[in-house]
Amino acid sequence: MRSTVLSATALACAAVLAATVPAFAGGRTASPSPVPTSTTVPSTRPSQAPSAAPTRAASPVPSTAPGRRRGQVAVVPSGAPDTGVVPASRASGPDGGLIGGSAAGALAVGGAAFLVVRRRRATGA
Amino acid sequence: MTSLSRRAFVTAATASLLAGCGPRPHPAASAAPSAGPPTPGRAPAGAVRALARSVPVRLAIPAIGVDTPVLRLGLAADGSVQVPPVTDHDRAGWYRHSPTPGQVGPSVILGHVTVGAYGDGVFRHLDRLRRGDGIAVRLENGASAGFTVTTVRTVAKAHFPTEAVYGDVDRPELRLITCGGPRTGGGYPDNVIVFAALSGRTS
Repeated sequence: MRSTVLSATALACAAVLAATVPAFAGGRTASPSPVPTSTTVPSTRPSQAPSAAPTRAASPVPSTAPGRRRGQVAVVPSGAPDTGVVPASRASGPDGGLIGGSAAGALAVGGAAFLVVRRRRATGA
Repeated sequence: MTSLSRRAFVTAATASLLAGCGPRPHPAASAAPSAGPPTPGRAPAGAVRALARSVPVRLAIPAIGVDTPVLRLGLAADGSVQVPPVTDHDRAGWYRHSPTPGQVGPSVILGHVTVGAYGDGVFRHLDRLRRGDGIAVRLENGASAGFTVTTVRTVAKAHFPTEAVYGDVDRPELRLITCGGPRTGGGYPDNVIVFAALSGRTS
């Protein structure tokens, strides 16, 4: 009876050892199973590396590395751009003056002509 | 077989089963890399390859009816950016010290909102652009760069965001700048700035 208990316990210990030792050793000896996963790792690596690495490396690295020194914009302007010249309706001051002045000139010329005609008539022409 | 030996067998079997579960985390760990592909998959969708340097010759913004030749602009004597000349047929101008459209960096194009006695400028309705609107720039080498509006900002000229406009970026971007805000006798107090990113290219 006791011998069966002992033998069963020994068997259990053996089973546990048998199961755990290869499990931990699986990283090396059971490499057939991890190795395929390690072969899938390279398969994911290539898909990550070529797509992410070139795009990241191509754009930020060459551009920002020299860019830090010189900047992508070689000369940064000062201040804000003045891209709005006020329309004619707002700038009507000078134009209005121009119109008024020419109207006054026309009136003066008309008045002078009237006076000349009147004087000629008065002199009995 | 006694009941004790049965228990011993059951214990042994359970122990071996538990131990057998040990190596399983490896496949789980290999599932982590498999979560990686979405990242590379996302990168090509967002990133469009940059174009070679070539000066812009024409700008089209269908959403606001703009189709204009593009001049080259430099710096004014006071260090501010030059603006296109005030003419009847107003045109946009590319700041030649910025990257050409499609190159990595902020390419800057300016245009008037109004041109005095001539009326509306080429960028009269720039503030009507919205996120997602398209912009096409034709280059001197025959290629075309397509941009998509990401942001439209109206900022006070006194607080012009120099770094946001001219600062380095990690992709090809475009800035369209004009004046804006309530018009006063002396001009406009604000700038309207459209930020756009390269979304397509033809060559």
